[in-house]
Amino acid sequence: MHAALYVSKTGLAAQDKQLTTISNNLANVGTVGFKRDRAIFEDLLYQVQRQPGAQTTQDTQLPSGLQLGAGVRVVATQKQFTEGNLQITEQSLDMAIDGRGFFQILQPDGSVAYTRNGQFQRNSEGQLVNNEGLLVEPAINIPEGAVRVTVSTDGVVNAFFKGEEAEPQQLGDLTLVDFINPAGLQAVGGNLFLETVASGNPIQGAPNENGMGKLVQGALEGSNVDIVEEMVNMITTQRAYELNSKVVSTADQMLQYISQTL
Amino acid sequence: MDKALYIAMTGARHNMLAQTNHSNNLANINTTGFRADFAQARSMPVYFGEGSPTRAYALTESPTSDFEQGPLNETGRDLDVAINGNGFIAVLGHDGTEAYTRAGNLVIDANGFLRTGNGLPVLGNAGPISLPPLEKLEVGADGTLSAVAIGQGPEAMVELDRIRLVNPDLQNIEKGQDGLFRQRDGLNAQPAAEVRLVSGLLEGSNVNAVSAFTEILSLSRQYEMQVKLMKDAEQNSEASSQLLRIS
Repeated sequence: MHAALYVSKTGLAAQDKQLTTISNNLANVGTVGFKRDRAIFEDLLYQVQRQPGAQTTQDTQLPSGLQLGAGVRVVATQKQFTEGNLQITEQSLDMAIDGRGFFQILQPDGSVAYTRNGQFQRNSEGQLVNNEGLLVEPAINIPEGAVRVTVSTDGVVNAFFKGEEAEPQQLGDLTLVDFINPAGLQAVGGNLFLETVASGNPIQGAPNENGMGKLVQGALEGSNVDIVEEMVNMITTQRAYELNSKVVSTADQMLQYISQTL
Repeated sequence: MDKALYIAMTGARHNMLAQTNHSNNLANINTTGFRADFAQARSMPVYFGEGSPTRAYALTESPTSDFEQGPLNETGRDLDVAINGNGFIAVLGHDGTEAYTRAGNLVIDANGFLRTGNGLPVLGNAGPISLPPLEKLEVGADGTLSAVAIGQGPEAMVELDRIRLVNPDLQNIEKGQDGLFRQRDGLNAQPAAEVRLVSGLLEGSNVNAVSAFTEILSLSRQYEMQVKLMKDAEQNSEASSQLLRIS
């Protein structure tokens, strides 16, 4: 049939994926610790229909050949690890990371997932958990009767008890992990990321040391989705989609014309 | 059989090929660093056999790509680089040879190698660029990479490597089957100091949607004319067989 049909089909499919990415970004514009995705487009292979340099006569050659591209594909989506805005919440168990690094969350199967979302709470046993009730690593236990919990910028967690304000009890140290290539982490939903071959191994460290970001108590890191940018991308995506679908209908009309005329 | 039928047929066939070329340009309207391909038609006279050379077939060819600068889109990401003006970034193609691209959405992989968005290693002063674990990477205007290593302050900025930027003669550059550019003579281009990188921007595709689409439409009408000629050739041969019919 007409090769242009298949080429524009790849264009339509790629714009579809791009729109899905954009809509997911916009849907998560209010998600704490969310990192926006970007679709990466790549042109597909080219097919050589005619080699340049073919003989036209005994002693003349064609100066250029014909090489046709096969369209486009979305080769990857890339997480953008720029920092979101810090929102001050004044909740003592809300923490944001100012700089690089991830909190560690213990999964039900014993493996560790990573997150930038520091919206933590206490469960019925006094343990520090995330919004889904999964334990924060390293485990922090807040005993009963603690009136105030403080988290220092380098991760030391202290609890204050009534009448003993001069002698806080140290509950533990929060550590962070960093990756050489955070964009290679696999997002699994629930604001969590998993380690992959592409991300490299987790490098553990105390906050505010060796390039780790510092902890900010009483604040949360907002989503880093830029609404204006997403809207502009949506417009270009929609128009590109329309153009490619126009090519499909043009190719279709040509095939219709030849089958009806001849 | 009337030769006009075959001439019109090649015309229609090559109109479709040219359309495929333009639809590939349109499909890549959002591809970072994409360079549009031109398509042109050449008349190929037929000089075979007896008789006078009265016929010429049409032949579509893609002579070169359009090397106009595409739009620069601000992304704010440190590892997004765009070339301002002429030039290319040198990468290692999938076949292991040096190739050139304009797409500068770079990433650092788990082993510290600097790669393009589709995973090709970026070449530096001596082979693929590999970087130590770092806190912040700055790309200079001439491709120089300087970084603050993990745990160091901003006063400890060190120069690590330099992205190989080349500025080959555009007459000597062609797009390969993997969409990357290489020199026609098979040699590697010399590093060029005059190529300018800007960081935090990406260069979009330089496909002009309006002209690509106009070409597609005009080729579509041309195609209809070729088909009409085929129809005429058919009617002519019908008329002549009418004349010769024994009634």
